[in-house]
Amino acid sequence: MKCCHLWVGGDLLMNIENSLILGGQKFESRLLVGTGKFSSVDVMLAAITASGAQLVTVALRRFNRERPSDDLLSPLIKLGITLMPNTSGARNAAEAVRAAMLGRELSGSRFVKVEIHPNPHHLMPDPLETYDACKQLAKEGFIVLPYMPADPVLAKRLEDVGCAAVMPLGSAIGSGHGLSTAEMVKLIIADSGIPVIVDAGIRAPSEAAAAMEMGCGAVLVNSAIAAAGDPAAMASAFAMAVKAGSAAWQAGLMAQSGHAVATSPLTSFLAGDQA
Amino acid sequence: MKILVNGIQHEHKGRGTLDMLLNELGAQPDAVAIMVNDQVIPRTDRTAITLKEGDRVEVLSFMGGG
Repeated sequence: MKCCHLWVGGDLLMNIENSLILGGQKFESRLLVGTGKFSSVDVMLAAITASGAQLVTVALRRFNRERPSDDLLSPLIKLGITLMPNTSGARNAAEAVRAAMLGRELSGSRFVKVEIHPNPHHLMPDPLETYDACKQLAKEGFIVLPYMPADPVLAKRLEDVGCAAVMPLGSAIGSGHGLSTAEMVKLIIADSGIPVIVDAGIRAPSEAAAAMEMGCGAVLVNSAIAAAGDPAAMASAFAMAVKAGSAAWQAGLMAQSGHAVATSPLTSFLAGDQA
Repeated sequence: MKILVNGIQHEHKGRGTLDMLLNELGAQPDAVAIMVNDQVIPRTDRTAITLKEGDRVEVLSFMGGG
């Protein structure tokens, strides 16, 4: 993990073993972005470009006869990114599986973000339905990334059924409350054989950096970029933060201590008692 | 022929293939996925399927989402 890096002036020029690997596919960027809540398609496209993200989530909705030209697929495909349709709107595993199949049919992508949250008040993922859906979809050949509660036991079960990554929430979707589940996310990372991606709740680039410093494989950000004063500028800030956090993780953070550990010599040469 | 499209009653005037229905709805064939009576229909089967009276058709496209 720590070999093969070539740093020049703070830029990572070459990093052979530093790709995020999901379902056998390599991604250089460890920032995943969502496409919700943007004020316009152009603002969204500019933000995705600024983020450098290579894996981008989209949602399904019913075709609107009043606005037949509303189509997110063709402008996104032109960016050369990989789409990851989500199953938002599904209330149970059966609906999520159908949504995943529709998403694959439309995008041509095997990636799916399994997202089953029956309660609009808190949007917490249903762990039982999420588990069932992931199990079925992994068997069907999907590259499955479940949005999940920050639960280390469930994370391991989802890994066992063939998920490509697990995506524990940092805090409630769109809440901007950051990494309130940090301790649980650390426990998930410690045990996980697949990438752990913090999804939901992140507000500031520093929180994305903190998640990467913990050893997350990536972070998924939507609202924090879409609802920023300048979405493209915020997307760029997140890209830098994710790179910094990832580099810090690879560099190896120093050990913590319960007491002070001096960085300068403490010889009392000014005390004048050497006489 | 009366069918249900995205939960709304629709009078289909063609021969009942999905390509004809999409044309009638003004939908771009490449921008939508279709489900008939809860079954996802692959793009390649769109001309092979013939709709029947009372069928429930869902026509879906991508929108922004996280």
